Parts: sequence; C-alpha cells; structure tokens
Amino acid sequence: MSDRIQLLEEIQQVGFQVDDLTLYLDTHPLDKDALDAFTQAKNERYQLMQNYAREFEPLNIYLVCPDTNNETGSYCKYPGQKHFTWSDGPLPWDNQGGV
Amino acid sequence: MWTYEKRLQYPVNIKKTCPKTASLIISQFGGPDGEMAASMRYLSQRYTMPCKEVAGLLTDIGTEELGHLEIICAIIFQLTKNMKPEDAKTAGFDAYYIDHTTALWPTAAAGVPFNACEFQSKGDAVTDLFEDLAAEQKARTAYENLIRIIDEPDVLEPLKFLREREIVHFQRFGEALEKTKLKLEEKNFYYFNPEFDKQFSKV
Repeated sequence: MSDRIQLLEEIQQVGFQVDDLTLYLDTHPLDKDALDAFTQAKNERYQLMQNYAREFEPLNIYLVCPDTNNETGSYCKYPGQKHFTWSDGPLPWDNQGGV
Repeated sequence: MWTYEKRLQYPVNIKKTCPKTASLIISQFGGPDGEMAASMRYLSQRYTMPCKEVAGLLTDIGTEELGHLEIICAIIFQLTKNMKPEDAKTAGFDAYYIDHTTALWPTAAAGVPFNACEFQSKGDAVTDLFEDLAAEQKARTAYENLIRIIDEPDVLEPLKFLREREIVHFQRFGEALEKTKLKLEEKNFYYFNPEFDKQFSKV
C-alpha cells in the first residue's frame, strides 16, 4: 500500500470520528467524554490533513500553500513550477489512489 | 456556505465493470429514498425549525448526506467507466445509456427521474421530524434490498457503511424530536404549530 493511500485511510478514519461525534454532540452538547473525544479527533485530523498536504495535494482550499504543498510531486501537471496546487492529486471518485 | 473536501467519506475502489449493479444502486442517488432527497429534505426543513439545536443537526446531517451522494456516484462511476458497447446493452442499463451515456443523472432504479416530491418540508416540527425518521428507515430498507442481491465485496463495503449511517441518523432524529417536545405544550403536543403559531411557543 502506498504512503498516499495509507495516509488517506488514516484521514478517513479520524475524519469519520469527527463526523459521528459532531452529530452526537448536536443532541448531547454537555457530554464531557464526547467533547474530549471530539477535541482529540479534530486535532489529530487537522495534523494528518497538514501532513498530507505537505507530502501530496491539499484536501481543502485552505490548505493550499504553493510553496510547501506536494513535496513528492505526485499527480502534478507542473512539476518544479510554482502553481495552484488545488488541482494536484487524483479525483476523489477515481479508484482509490487514482489507479 | 460549504467548503469542499477533496476525498470520499468512505473509500470506494471497484475494479469490476457491472452496469446492471449500477442501474440498481442509482436509486440511492436519485430515487425516492436516495441521498439527494435526504440532503435536500434536511437542508430545506432547517430554516423554520423552532429549536436551534435541531436546525443545527439538520444542517450537519444534510451535509453528511451530500458526502453520501458523492460515495453513491463514485460507485456508479466506477461500475460503468470501463464499459464496452456490448456492456451498454445490459438490460436495465441500456435505456439509461441512450439518454445519458455513462454520465451521472439522478433517477430511481425503475426509471422515474428525481423529483422534489420525494421529500417533504411541511413547516411543522413534529411532522417534519417524523418524516425524517421514516426517511432514514426507508433508506435503510433500500440499502438492505441492495445488499441482499449484490455479491461483489468491493461494492458491498461502502453500501454497508451507508446503511449503518441511516441507523445513526435515525437515532439522532429521535433525540431531536424529544428535544422539540420539551418546547411544546406538554399536555397536547398538537396545541400549536411551533413553526407558525409563534405566540404560543415557549422558545
């Protein structure tokens, strides 16, 4: 399994924790354990998203940093050139990893 | 407003072309209990919800449903992207192919195009939350009908994930209904409509 797919799976897993805890907290806003779990998952997700953007493409528009994104030059149409990295990477609906 | 995240909520990686399966799963895109109807239902109902937390829940579930719509579309896309002309003749997919080739277009499995009448936005909190509870159960049944007749593990895994989400959403809507009742007249939940008869509301 490539680093890209492994890192994406980690983001999917911790991202899902955030999604599910969001709905739970919408109806249980005072649950301390859930609040702690939410904060931990949210922070972990943010860290992984930043790691992914540095190594590969940014997964949301706010992580676009033309100077630091996509160190591996993966799925990149303009290798070595400063460019808008939002268009780097495979499309989400392509088979995982764009294969 | 919304911000796009360039990934699927759950991975889809289907290697085997199967237009027949695509023609059935498409119901969860544009069918009566599909993800498009789900998302539009919750995102339409939220504006007049008297209870702020419930409006927030409708926003969050409506947003997740957009992610589910994307998963369903990814499944259909991957099942059909390598189709050959002889595959296009597959019974059940052939008529769709004539009008849409392999593009995504919201329709029910039986060929009825997506229609806003698939969902309700009635303007009464009790009525709308019961609609939402029923909608999640109908979507669960539709996923179970698909899971029962599909054998391919690559297709089944994301469908099983989506089925589980229907159950979680049902649970959350049940809690939202209980929260809403606390703001209604306790001796008669139907004494007033909290989305219209605002002078009676305890909010």
